[in-house]
Amino acid sequence: MTDAAVPTARPHRASLLADDARMKRRKAAETRFRLYGLSAIAVSLATLAIMLWTIFSDGVSAFYQAKLTFPVTLSSDLLDPMGNGNRDEMVKVTTVGYNKLLTRAFEAELAAKGIDTGELSNKDVNALISKDAAGDLRAMVLANPAVLDTTITAKMLAAGRIDGYLKGRVTMQTAERDGQISPEQLQFADRLIDAGILSSQWNWDFFTNPDASDQRPEAAGLGVAILGSLYLMILVAVMCVPVGVAASIYLEEFAPKNRWTDLIEVNISNLAAVPSIVYGILGLAIFINFMGFPQSSTLVGALVISLMVLPTIIIATRASIRAVPPSIRDAALGVGASKMQMVVHHVLPLAAPGILTGTILGLATALGETAPLLLIGMVAFVDNYPSAPVEGFLDPATALPVQVYGWAQRADPAFIERSSGAIIVLLAFLVVMNVAAIILRRKFERRW
Amino acid sequence: MDDMRIVERTVNTKASKISAKGVQVHYGATHALKDVDVEILENTVTAFIGPSGCGKSTFLRCLNRMNDTIPSCRVDGSITLDGENIYDPRVDPVRLRARVGMVFQKPNPFPKSIYDNVAYGPKIHGLARTKAELDEIVETSLRKAALWNEAKDRLASPGTGLSGGQQQRLCIARAIATSPEVLLMDEPCSALDPIATAQVEELIDELRASFSVVIVTHSMQQAARVSQKTAFFHLGNLVEYGETGQVFTTPQDPRTEAYITGRIG
Amino acid sequence: MTVFLLLCLMLVLAVAAFVVCRARALALSGGKIGVLHSLPGYYGWHGAIMVLLPGLAVLLVWLVVQPMVIESRISATLPAELTADDSARALAMADVRRLAAGLDVAIAAGSVTVDASGTPQIAGSGTMREALAEAGVALAEDVSPQILTAAQAYRGLSATGAAWRALAVLAAALAGFALAVRMTEPELRARNRVEGVVEGLLMAASTIAILTTVGIVWSMLSETFNFFSMYPAADFFFGLTWSPNFRGDSELGFIPLLWGTLYISLISMLVAVPIGLFAAIYLAEYASPAVRGWVKPLIEVIAGIPTVVFGLFALVTVGPLLRDYFAEPLGLGNSGSSVMTAGIVIGILNIPFISSLADDIINAVPQALRDGSYGLGATKSETVRQVIIPAALPGIVGAVLLAASRAIGETMIVSMGAGAAAKLDLNPFEAMTTMTVKIVGQLTGDTDFASPETLVAFALGMTLFVITLGLNILALYVVRKYREQYE
Repeated sequence: MTDAAVPTARPHRASLLADDARMKRRKAAETRFRLYGLSAIAVSLATLAIMLWTIFSDGVSAFYQAKLTFPVTLSSDLLDPMGNGNRDEMVKVTTVGYNKLLTRAFEAELAAKGIDTGELSNKDVNALISKDAAGDLRAMVLANPAVLDTTITAKMLAAGRIDGYLKGRVTMQTAERDGQISPEQLQFADRLIDAGILSSQWNWDFFTNPDASDQRPEAAGLGVAILGSLYLMILVAVMCVPVGVAASIYLEEFAPKNRWTDLIEVNISNLAAVPSIVYGILGLAIFINFMGFPQSSTLVGALVISLMVLPTIIIATRASIRAVPPSIRDAALGVGASKMQMVVHHVLPLAAPGILTGTILGLATALGETAPLLLIGMVAFVDNYPSAPVEGFLDPATALPVQVYGWAQRADPAFIERSSGAIIVLLAFLVVMNVAAIILRRKFERRW
Repeated sequence: MDDMRIVERTVNTKASKISAKGVQVHYGATHALKDVDVEILENTVTAFIGPSGCGKSTFLRCLNRMNDTIPSCRVDGSITLDGENIYDPRVDPVRLRARVGMVFQKPNPFPKSIYDNVAYGPKIHGLARTKAELDEIVETSLRKAALWNEAKDRLASPGTGLSGGQQQRLCIARAIATSPEVLLMDEPCSALDPIATAQVEELIDELRASFSVVIVTHSMQQAARVSQKTAFFHLGNLVEYGETGQVFTTPQDPRTEAYITGRIG
Repeated sequence: MTVFLLLCLMLVLAVAAFVVCRARALALSGGKIGVLHSLPGYYGWHGAIMVLLPGLAVLLVWLVVQPMVIESRISATLPAELTADDSARALAMADVRRLAAGLDVAIAAGSVTVDASGTPQIAGSGTMREALAEAGVALAEDVSPQILTAAQAYRGLSATGAAWRALAVLAAALAGFALAVRMTEPELRARNRVEGVVEGLLMAASTIAILTTVGIVWSMLSETFNFFSMYPAADFFFGLTWSPNFRGDSELGFIPLLWGTLYISLISMLVAVPIGLFAAIYLAEYASPAVRGWVKPLIEVIAGIPTVVFGLFALVTVGPLLRDYFAEPLGLGNSGSSVMTAGIVIGILNIPFISSLADDIINAVPQALRDGSYGLGATKSETVRQVIIPAALPGIVGAVLLAASRAIGETMIVSMGAGAAAKLDLNPFEAMTTMTVKIVGQLTGDTDFASPETLVAFALGMTLFVITLGLNILALYVVRKYREQYE
């Protein structure tokens, strides 16, 4: 025994059952630390909840729209001056003519129902009808000339400010300071509501209409954006999945370990962290300026986004290929399969659910990506639908997240509602994609 | 190393340090330990032996409530340290562990310097008021763990840079720096080579003067070399508990005899 | 013959080659497949590849070379005053191309007809411009005769080129076909050859990663050089004023943008690092499995939300909130867009990023270290602070660096929440701007790729790329070192 092993004087031991002062301090520190953790989680979740709540409360109203319902007689005197129902000649009647018809019908209805217009001039009264209404009516008549000379119950968009009044965005106080609407007009609108002419209705147009100009927030819709995002998703999937899977197979199964593959690996992990805006610059410089692809087209958007999500998809795909146990590869090679046959017959089918899940999640990030699309011109005002594929891929279009940004930049607060509504649609798509990925993962999850 | 050498068996009448009565342990639905009664004496090396999965490590971890860190684990029965029930709801396992230290199967030095490894326990328990006192504790602990001569010139270098045997002795120094009353060792030599094992075994015998030591081991030779008391566990039962010499030479239970002669385990 | 038609034709040939070669292999085997080196299907694939590979190669080369040849031949015929210098030549050639494309459309629409000699004639009365406009082709000005002649020549050459192209491609494909049929013998290692081609394709796919990097660097580097030839690099990198205008005396100093970027990133890190880290610690060390199972996915939901949503949140909620409750009462300004707004929202965006990375890293710390600490009587918080965090520090530093790189490169939130004014200011409630905002600003709307005001975006992009790349490489290096430590 060395002298060091002589027992040293032990500090006084208190009972285990009672805490001394130091222990109390340590326990307090422990509780505090735990609280920090809990509050960090609480803050994160609360922010998430507040963000989603504000966006939903701002955006849900975009799915409802104030509409004026009144009978309109589509007199052929005004709409078909030649009187022969020939569509080519009817095209010559512009929206001005239709507008005249509409305002007349509106005034007649007011008179019929005996609604007091107060001090308002006819112009002020008719300002309640959206400037887009005449165009809608014209499109309807031209699509079906048979309705001429019949009386239809028209559901016409009300002006944006009236829509805002029904949704609580516009009040008597704001109307006093507003050049576009007066408190008297709002009082008149109240009377229209009582008479059942003005009401808020489910707004399918929000999903189908194209974008509208700054003055007509009530007519703005997501039609072009939804179609554009759909085209983008199709193209990205078509371009990314084969290339991503091929690259992953090569890197996992065939690539020799050398400097070249090392370089590829380093590149992939770096590209996954390059800011998305840089891909936008790449798209602008190479696909538009150098190769001359059309600006604002979904094809260029899809090329840029494909390059951007490719690293993510390759990383996910490689992980699921790696999860296939080596014993299966040995078994396939052992019965004389070639390496390619082993991959195609055994590894790929087993890795497929994982690849699919990773791809869906990659597409979900692609769907929400905005910045690179701004640079290739997809933020431009587009009010024509792109035509059907394949030529449609070259037509100018916009995408859901870009539309969100575009509307958020507009001055009229009515567009903030539209923007939030567009986010709800975007999030709905994202939820569907993520749920699909989760279900796939649950269904095919395999533990080796 | 002459195997089966029995060290001096002077188990003088010593006071009981830890007393376990009717201990049951469940891991979820598994009944891991059934009705175990053991008295751990002061200044004694007690060895727990038995085949793998017999519950000896589980029981060891009950003694300083390390099992608390496993959510599914439930402990019933009573274990007292100096007459106080360590499973009393008022007992904080943190304070208990300061008095019942532990050394693990694999050396697990913190990724800090040798000095900081040893000073960690005294610091968190507030055992030193000044730097000088802390220095003294570190030195004494390293001396007790027979590491001082090797480590005194490199106290600031990382503990992970030591060899396996040195790392384990560092872990022992770390454990004794908090001046525990009982030192639990869970197969402390299983990851070490024979020379390091011999050093640690020698150390354990020396530590007996200051602490009561409980050691779990796979090796019957090791139990015979270092311990005064031996408990044999089998399938969650404490089969036999007695003085080491008696357990190894005249086991009372046929299962103990079978294990010692190599027929089970 | 259009390219599309040519591709279809090649596909038909490929299918034919598949059928023929497979049938020939089967016939040669005489019913005993065992005598063939490969399964009959591989002989079929071999045939199809032998058709497609040479055909596509010829087509690709032709598509690249033909426009270059035509351009040089046409520009040689243009009058000297139109090709005085490179930019004039490029403009004239663009006119020629546009007119040639317009003529194609107009001829298809019938507003322009072609006489026997191939010279276009206006079908109705009026100018060529009116005729084209009738077919839906809008031209800025009326067509000069030289350009019209050149456009005609262009169309002629293109048509001849297209005919020769079709011939060459089909010849190559047919030659491949014939060779494939002749090669189809039982000894042909069809499977190995097919697999070799497939492996080549797989390898080509994997090089896209490198091509992308090369594309990024090349696209920005050339324009960046253009920019520095118009605007001194020193003035860009050290200039303290950013005020672009179109009078030609823009000051394009990069420092205010860098300051805004770094200030916003700093605030975002001050939000994200403590919250993300504590959330990760709580989830990894304290939370029960049930709580963890719920909270972890919920926090990760934040990461799945598009950044434009955060941008709107900054614009509509956070900005006005900070302005009304902090900036105005404290007398620090009245701007809803501010460094604080953007910083806080980017911080929120980065919380799940830091927490999930840190969670992985904390979980990678071996359990033995925790046991060692608990065995000495340490509490959980002591273990976390004194053992786990120091052990996980390199990994956490890596995660923080990656998050910083994301904050620096973030675009939508700063576009919508930080403002557009380039300022060197310390007040966090002041609107400032970042590199990314200016890249978007200078490259959207009307852009003129000959002016420094537009090209500066490429210099900014290059700088951004270099900064984030540096951070990423450093972070990946640190994290890799950390993983090696515990493997």
